[in-house]
Amino acid sequence: MKILRKTLFRLLFIIPLIGFTSNLKAQSDPTGESPATRTYAITNATIVQAPGKLMEEGTIVITDGLITAVGKNINIPATAEVIDGTDMFIYSGFIDGMSNTGAERPANPERPDNLFTPDPPNYYAGITPENQVIEQIKVDENSIEAMRKVGFTISHTVPYGRMLPGSGALILLRDADHPDKLILSEGSSLYSQFSGAPGAYPGNTLGIMAKFRDLYKNAELSKNHSELYASNPEGIARPTRDRVSEAFYPVIEKKQPIFYNASNSLEARRAMRLQKELGFNLVLGNLQEGWDLADEIKSTNTKVFMSLELPKEPKNSKEEDKSDEVKRLEERRMEFYKKYVSQYAELQKAGIKFGFSSIDARSSQLKDNLLTIIEHGLSEDQVLAALTTNSAELLGISKIAGTLDEGKIGNLIVSKGPYFEKKSQIKYVFVDGEKHEYDVKDGSKVKEGDETPATNLDAILGAWNYEFTTPQGTQTGKFIFTNESDILTGTMTSSDGTPDTDLQNISFLNGELSFDFSIDAGGQSVDIVVVGVVDGNNYEAEASVAAFNFTFPIQATKDEA
Amino acid sequence: MLFLCTSVLQAQTKKGDVLIKNGTVITITDGTLENTDVLVRNGKIDRIGKNLKAPNGVEEVDATGKFVMPGIIDAHSHIAGTSINEGTSQVTAEVSMEDVVDPLDVGIYRALAGGVTSIHLMHGSANVIGGQNETLKLRWGSTNPEDLRFEGAPRTIKFALGENPTRGGRSRGIQPQSRMGVEAMLRNTFNDAIKYRDAWNAYRSNKSSRKVAPEYSLRMETMVDILEGEVLVHCHSYRADEIYMLMKVFSDFGIEKLTFQHANEAYKVAPELAEFGASASVFSDWWAYKLEVYYSTAYNAAILTENGVTTSINSDSGELIRHLFHEAAKTQKYGDLSDNEALALITLNPAKQLGIDNRVGSLEKGKDADIAIFDNHPLSIYAVPQMTFVDGVKYFDIENDAADQRIYIDPESTVEDVQILYSNDHDRCMEGANVVNFTDLFNNK
Repeated sequence: MKILRKTLFRLLFIIPLIGFTSNLKAQSDPTGESPATRTYAITNATIVQAPGKLMEEGTIVITDGLITAVGKNINIPATAEVIDGTDMFIYSGFIDGMSNTGAERPANPERPDNLFTPDPPNYYAGITPENQVIEQIKVDENSIEAMRKVGFTISHTVPYGRMLPGSGALILLRDADHPDKLILSEGSSLYSQFSGAPGAYPGNTLGIMAKFRDLYKNAELSKNHSELYASNPEGIARPTRDRVSEAFYPVIEKKQPIFYNASNSLEARRAMRLQKELGFNLVLGNLQEGWDLADEIKSTNTKVFMSLELPKEPKNSKEEDKSDEVKRLEERRMEFYKKYVSQYAELQKAGIKFGFSSIDARSSQLKDNLLTIIEHGLSEDQVLAALTTNSAELLGISKIAGTLDEGKIGNLIVSKGPYFEKKSQIKYVFVDGEKHEYDVKDGSKVKEGDETPATNLDAILGAWNYEFTTPQGTQTGKFIFTNESDILTGTMTSSDGTPDTDLQNISFLNGELSFDFSIDAGGQSVDIVVVGVVDGNNYEAEASVAAFNFTFPIQATKDEA
Repeated sequence: MLFLCTSVLQAQTKKGDVLIKNGTVITITDGTLENTDVLVRNGKIDRIGKNLKAPNGVEEVDATGKFVMPGIIDAHSHIAGTSINEGTSQVTAEVSMEDVVDPLDVGIYRALAGGVTSIHLMHGSANVIGGQNETLKLRWGSTNPEDLRFEGAPRTIKFALGENPTRGGRSRGIQPQSRMGVEAMLRNTFNDAIKYRDAWNAYRSNKSSRKVAPEYSLRMETMVDILEGEVLVHCHSYRADEIYMLMKVFSDFGIEKLTFQHANEAYKVAPELAEFGASASVFSDWWAYKLEVYYSTAYNAAILTENGVTTSINSDSGELIRHLFHEAAKTQKYGDLSDNEALALITLNPAKQLGIDNRVGSLEKGKDADIAIFDNHPLSIYAVPQMTFVDGVKYFDIENDAADQRIYIDPESTVEDVQILYSNDHDRCMEGANVVNFTDLFNNK
């Protein structure tokens, strides 16, 4: 009787609360931004339900965030916003296997006083496996929209950091007012990478490999101790709280995989070496050099997300009297370019089911890179599988995502023309049943042929005043671009008297300006890559210092000459 | 204690068969044999003798007028490593060069072209107790670091005395700032290891099912392994006083296996080294590159040899490694060593220092077929290596020596930018120790 009273008492509180929240939703929206309906029907479209499974003149209905009907002769709910899908191709929304999408890079940790010890503070050493990526996720991060507009709807987002930044989460690339609302699931991975702490232990691969083993072994011991204590604490030393070790428990129980950011072949082999020694479930993310690894990937049962970053196609010298040696060197360079772009088809042939990871790639290049991969032997269906069904399977979300079937999340791409045609454009991306609409350029504006429109170099020629902020304060100076007989050259000057630096690999295409330069840092040459968008006289860019896994923004404005 | 070694499977590496006919065979352990054949079966030396017949399908190499010797072993190298120093703290016994082996380093092929078949890939000398080293066979062409491991070679570790580790200490305001600090740090660390061993031994002998394990430390595990003789110490050193100091420390802790690297003043304590049973791995005639290396002599290797110290000559360089046979020959000018003594400095002696002399270092039946063939006597200034075999597999042949030996090529590299000289050819010992941080990048002062 007492219990019943207690329950009733609680219900009295809960019931009004439920009423209150539903009331909130029913309130009118003074901003006028919320959609009039959450039911959509796209009719008369070509629906690619799954790779290789195509339905023409089909209709798809999305209701309250879920796909509720797919097929022909479907009753369209009266409340639906009907979209005419004539000439449209519909695909399941793409799933990114490993990225930083939605996460904001935290400020560099301050250098501690006791830097030079065998065990510097964990926050500086980069040993923070207990952190969760949601702490870094910002709803207004540009990357969410940048990835969504090329078709990605779910991202396995991992935190920024050093050796062990924390655990990753699956997020929906939707609009929301709070990061919690982006979360599809948390704790999807324990993220690990080969990034040392500047000037402190572990400083490089040597220390990282050893520290990883040490942490793992101690986590196993800590887990045993905690379990022993939990079963009966009598006569047993109380285990001290150790969040670093605790973060490994689900990995030790094989309930959570370790996602290793291993871009080159040696890093991938090192991650697999740790896997062989310690026995956890391993996923290689961001793999860029996998052509020699098929056997080892299979024997260690490793899952793989291949990088969507590709090297630039090498351009052979046009000099007519080039030596045989130069010709041979150019041939070998081309041979290796082919290895990079053909490895996807090779791994597929070897029976490895992989997804894609965008972590090192620029969103604006993703489609071009996918087309390059198709050109080099992976079929469109296989690419689509890597973007959808494979990723869903590897991330354990096949029941809710990856195909256009009833009951799945309303994540889909509506493309004018087949997505894998160079000229096709995305018209809508639905995420979690919400519509995002994009301008589709009129066909007549796109030039004939597959070439992108010629770039008008005049837009960038001249001097630009740049500004960026580093730990040493704000740096200013000029980038000067000149056209020397159709070759774009550039110089960087500095207001603080640093000698001028030549800019390398300058590229200006479709409004995107990128270049790199190196600076001398105490005898060590450090490369800085700048990528950004030119909009009139403004240049907004991001500079990245690969050597330190660090990026910072650069702004520049053009001198009015 | 075998945590590192147990679960890593050894890849199957290639083994070759070959009959090397009618050469001058320099065995190192059994004299020099004229007009003699060496038969290799399945990577091992099967027979050494005259008028041997090639079994069916076994390739024959005509070595008439040529010199056949054991592959050269470099006891101090920093080629084939993607990192050299984890110099961020003064004791990093837990790190190991086996994790950073770079099979793609074209320096491996250059070494093969100098008759080298094995190297001791060493951690740098930025800290007092650096990382564990890795003994490699130069099986060029594989992309898998595991394929280069000298399977079964004992573990070794790098220690460092003198200016390198104290330089780091002084610049950071931490121990050690002097040679006294280095000794104290060594003794403290070994004492910590003894305590650690005791704690784990107590845990292991505890029969209770409810026992709680002490904290695990890969660093201390390695220190315990040193105390128990499972890890051979190779110590960067120059001065006689510090060399003598380390022998005293090791005597106190009962550690027997010790090789001094560089050891430019070892000749001053040669009898003491011999009595201890310590070895020395030295340069032929390189010194005066910093204060502690001024007091040196090109007679160092010869004096040590005459005093019964197992001595080797090493390269510590991607350039010198290509002509270690010339380096060995210098001991004939400076010290009148015999041919056999001089060649032992780059074959059998380094093999002993690395604990692999049961496998390599001489041409004997049953040993690994790691072999170099020269057109002249290897101690002649005119000697040019012709072929180099590891496990009976030919990895270098001067008659078939492609110009571009790179295994992986960056498609974004420029072709014009051909780099012939290796910019880091000296003293990679301190490589990576001067870590540049992001703040320094924009520091214009």
